[in-house]
Amino acid sequence: MTITPRRAAVLFAGLLASVTTSAAPGQQRSFVACPIVRDTSTVPCWLAEYEGETYFLTLQTDVSAPVNPPQLGHQVLVEGVVADEPRVCGGIPLKPVVLSVLPEIDSSCSTMLPAEDRYNLTFEPPRPPGPSRGRLAFDNPNPAPRRAVPETLPRTFTLQYDFDSAIAFRHAGVLQQIQDVVVKQKAARVDITAYRAASLLSNGKTLTERDGIGRRRAEQIASLLKDAGLTAVTYQVQWQDAPPPDGLDDAAGRRVDIVVHD
Amino acid sequence: MTHRVRPFLLLTLAALAVAAGLRAAEPARWWSPGEGGRLPAYATYPNEYGEVGVLNSSGPIETKGHPFFEPIGTNGRACVSCHQPANAMSLSVAAIQERWRATKGTDPIFAAIDGMNCPGLPAGDPASHSLLLERGLFRVFLPWPPVTHDGTAVDPEFSIEVVRDPTGCNTSPRYGLTSATPEISVYRRPRPVANTKYFTHHGFGVTSFVGKGPLATVRDAETGLPTSMNMMADARVSTLKTQAMSAAQSHLQIAGALDEARLRKIVEFEGQVYSAQVRHRAAGDLMEPGGPPGFGVRNLAAASTGVLGNNTTQWVFPVGDVWKKLATPAGATDAPRNRMRESIARGHDVFMFRTFWIRDVQHLNTVGLGNPTKRTCSTCHGMHMTGMDVANGWMDLGATNLPWAREEPLNPWNQRKPQMPLFKITCKASAAPHAFLGRTIYTQDPGRALVTGRCTDVGSIVMQQFRGLAARAPYFANGSAESIRDLVDFYDRRFNIGYTAQERDDLINFLSAL
Repeated sequence: MTITPRRAAVLFAGLLASVTTSAAPGQQRSFVACPIVRDTSTVPCWLAEYEGETYFLTLQTDVSAPVNPPQLGHQVLVEGVVADEPRVCGGIPLKPVVLSVLPEIDSSCSTMLPAEDRYNLTFEPPRPPGPSRGRLAFDNPNPAPRRAVPETLPRTFTLQYDFDSAIAFRHAGVLQQIQDVVVKQKAARVDITAYRAASLLSNGKTLTERDGIGRRRAEQIASLLKDAGLTAVTYQVQWQDAPPPDGLDDAAGRRVDIVVHD
Repeated sequence: MTHRVRPFLLLTLAALAVAAGLRAAEPARWWSPGEGGRLPAYATYPNEYGEVGVLNSSGPIETKGHPFFEPIGTNGRACVSCHQPANAMSLSVAAIQERWRATKGTDPIFAAIDGMNCPGLPAGDPASHSLLLERGLFRVFLPWPPVTHDGTAVDPEFSIEVVRDPTGCNTSPRYGLTSATPEISVYRRPRPVANTKYFTHHGFGVTSFVGKGPLATVRDAETGLPTSMNMMADARVSTLKTQAMSAAQSHLQIAGALDEARLRKIVEFEGQVYSAQVRHRAAGDLMEPGGPPGFGVRNLAAASTGVLGNNTTQWVFPVGDVWKKLATPAGATDAPRNRMRESIARGHDVFMFRTFWIRDVQHLNTVGLGNPTKRTCSTCHGMHMTGMDVANGWMDLGATNLPWAREEPLNPWNQRKPQMPLFKITCKASAAPHAFLGRTIYTQDPGRALVTGRCTDVGSIVMQQFRGLAARAPYFANGSAESIRDLVDFYDRRFNIGYTAQERDDLINFLSAL
């Protein structure tokens, strides 16, 4: 494995972090840990500890949120950037952050912390529990401005994956978009390229996805589209390893690219 | 073992007969196959909480010659045998026991194919029908390895081993796993055939892809549209027509197949019939003008389908505030009624707003909500007016998987023996494990996994609607909750909710009014 300047910088930062345990804004943090859930008087928040520091991962929101909370009973791969923001629930915020629930059970991941006044979260207006629209519900809390509907339908799609994982609940919406485009455009061919990737952790170690996950991802997408009725389409299905990780945006390597052709 | 069970069974039946005798003044109307007569546009039937209503929105139904009411199979059953109006178009265990007494076990519902613990057991012996008589369970026999809805063979991700076989069916050389046509027998409750527009809708949540595992949504072969896959406990068929075809062959043992004309009549009937509690013994009329708009059959028939309830604009059950604080002058005769109405309103708020930690539920905590998630009953039971999931509502609550499933306590002082089969599931190393039980799972009913062959689906059951609960105990697909109180207590134990006595009573009162 070659050491690129970016990789060297990450390794150095990781080494520095392990010595000083400081978390400077802009630093990448990639680590595997047990998630911790802390109750509050409103919604719970999710934390993880690494090298003696506590990081804030996300709040409990809803399935359509950009970041979904991890799971007790499983370790989580955290890949994020230290934000220059006040602590939330006692943790340094990581933004952006990608969380991957690791598939195997780890019963030692069981920490639930009680609510404390000092970690209170306030929302205005207060949001009652239960299914809801609005903030912390089915809408993105910070929705991007609506763009004009493009005259031409998108032809390329990317599905991002959790580490070592196949299809997930959040992928259903993108698959629906692909199906709609194929039907509307009467597309003749769909190219599916899946990647197996690795992550360079902040401690310098590399975490690599299991063999065959790229192929599984690719074949699963093709199978799903066929099962959804897109049987008259030619599928070009391939899989490969993503470029070596550099510790900066390794999560982007875990993906399937889909291109729709007329 | 049969002889050890029998004394207890008879004792149970005797006790239930006494209990039933207390209600003998208002016997529930039983519709026998082929008896004829008119099913009115609107009828009510008594139950221990009040009255359940059945509304035929297209008008009265002449049952003579109607395929839902005629014995179209070879065993004398009709669809109505297991979908009785008095039981909210399902079948209560109380009604089953009453039929046993009235017919000495000869009613077609006790047919050997699935009304017996396993075909071939001694006829006329209550022990041969103990799962039906005690828990309201019919045998559902499914091929192993599984086949999909279109008959495609599935390569399962796990092996299955029979650990306990109290019915003898899963180890039977004729009906079991090692038979010439290997089958697995599980035991399930009949689901209500009413309010069907809510699980045949094409609204929110019904798309081409399921999300709970790599799965494309099953489509209606006639319309080409995706279905909600919310109809059966394991979602193995998903339209009223395919369900009728399947039930006619398995439960009714029809010779040949149902023709299109009869199928159309069955589907038409099922598409227009509504059922819900309409009167509460203490709260009174649930449909009176100005009352909460979420109760009763007429509101149910009028409401929109495919709507996910929410806590700001459209509650799951829109009861509003009208019963929250009722003015009751001192000495007023309606004081007890008002107190119950207030309790029901509080029970709604327990359902909708009382948070607890929902934990270790496959296909709920794994779909992006986190584990645990601090939410409410309405998180899972979110469909407006019914409390189902809006689509693809299967998840592993723990009703059939150990350690949460109801098991008989084994000790020298307990005469009862386990009633339910127990299977050991061993998942292949290459398969994604069940998120919270791993790769070795003990279960009374693998549920959806018997259709998909997936490890992550073991124990997942499609949740049911909340309507007409008062008329159709017991609850859960395996009949493990004998009463609404049992139902609430299961959740209390499962999620360590810690309901107060008041919250528990209020929630029970609310559920009994649906």
